[in-house]
Amino acid sequence: MNKLILAAAIASTMGFNSHGFAAGPIDGTIYGKVNVSVVNADNGTTDTWKLNSNASRLGVKGKTEIADGLYAVYKAEFEMCVDDGDCKGQTFTQRNIMGGIKGSFGTVWAGKHDSPTKLAQNKIDLFNDLEGDIKNTFEGENRVSNIVAYSSPKMNGFSTTVAMIPGEGTDIDGDGQDDTGLTDGISYSLSYSQGNLYIAVAGDQDVDNQDLMRIVAQYNIDALKLGVMYQQNEDNLGTKDESGFFVSAAYKLDKKTTLKAQYGSIEDDADGDEEQTMSLGADYKLAKGTKLYVFYTDHTDSSVGEADKEDTAFGLGMEHKF
Amino acid sequence: MNSKSLRFLISTCIIWLCSTSAFSACDFDTDDADSPDFVDKIIECDESKNKPSRPVLNRVLGKAEYKNTTRLYGDGTKDPASGIFERPVVAPGSMNHSPNKMFASRQAFSLRPNAKFEQSVTLAIQRLYIEMAHYCAKGWSIEDQWSEPDPAQEGDYFLHYRYTCAG
Repeated sequence: MNKLILAAAIASTMGFNSHGFAAGPIDGTIYGKVNVSVVNADNGTTDTWKLNSNASRLGVKGKTEIADGLYAVYKAEFEMCVDDGDCKGQTFTQRNIMGGIKGSFGTVWAGKHDSPTKLAQNKIDLFNDLEGDIKNTFEGENRVSNIVAYSSPKMNGFSTTVAMIPGEGTDIDGDGQDDTGLTDGISYSLSYSQGNLYIAVAGDQDVDNQDLMRIVAQYNIDALKLGVMYQQNEDNLGTKDESGFFVSAAYKLDKKTTLKAQYGSIEDDADGDEEQTMSLGADYKLAKGTKLYVFYTDHTDSSVGEADKEDTAFGLGMEHKF
Repeated sequence: MNSKSLRFLISTCIIWLCSTSAFSACDFDTDDADSPDFVDKIIECDESKNKPSRPVLNRVLGKAEYKNTTRLYGDGTKDPASGIFERPVVAPGSMNHSPNKMFASRQAFSLRPNAKFEQSVTLAIQRLYIEMAHYCAKGWSIEDQWSEPDPAQEGDYFLHYRYTCAG
């Protein structure tokens, strides 16, 4: 049976008939990646070899033109755990899932999604999803439920995204009261990109119990890509008042090989604790969308009055995007 | 596998079956889904996916001509001066000639108000002539020319020349 006829038959029996009302074609594209690494992780007392799945994922995205210049857009992305098939007790876990309307006015979208602050980081984290992931050191890398956002169109290189996050009856700001408003949490970003330069200012208010502000800059000079971030954040209970910076550099040696390094440090003014992260690595491109990589990461957690806690990891991995 | 996962798999298969070209030549990178302008990437990628890959070239040429034309299109190398991804300009003085062989070359140019001088159509034409001289050192005939918008950036275009080396 022709696959389209088969699809139509299955879809009609399951209630997927809405395409009959759309003005434009229903587009859907599956995308994703498999990213596996063999890693040796040493926490100072135990040395463990493991296979990691590194946020391997499967997603569907697309858009439908519902009127001239007006689009319905959607994206549904799920993590799959290539190493042991167990994603927190499930076969798949939810990553970014959103639906929205885009027109000349910009995009209004909603779902469970990375906050504008997290998106503004714009991949200056060169070891994303690995042991050196910036989220292991810095606050603000949040995927937020119940997010309702507006993203402006790009004007002269500038664009902004503002998101509100209803608490839905939970105590989102830690004041002991249930939050039931529409803007219990707020996340925003303002970015400028032109040519090789990208700059963003972003912030959160009452997101993941944090108030946060970060500035991100990225610049490409031929084969060299530089990234820098400065961040301040404090939690709602007043027990954390952090500030820190992060720098990264990637240098493309040739068409296949890229060397990468990054360093971050953040200090808590409330108790004097400090965290540092340093990662080195190299990517070797096998084909479009496929690469091998090696990395080494050192993460140090210094607490006042306690011995430093150092975690190191090195590994070899493969990523294939589709 | 639990029932939720089974339903998810069935749903994704259905969408794949319904999609016109799930694995097209679109340059959407998986990590673009997490980029600040992810919505733009979805729209642009799907629009480029729905277009024939060589719309004007297909229209201009018959099937046999299309097959016999050597396309000298870029491999994505970034021009540091213009910021446009395009193949490097062939160095003058590096000459070849293939009698009666047909080529198609393209160069990027921009009509954006803030475009740099290096992105002007004049320089695009200059680069195309250098390229034609490189591949057809003993002369050539321009068969056709056309422009296509660059889906990656509004206001940017590719100027194409199709030409045949002198016999």
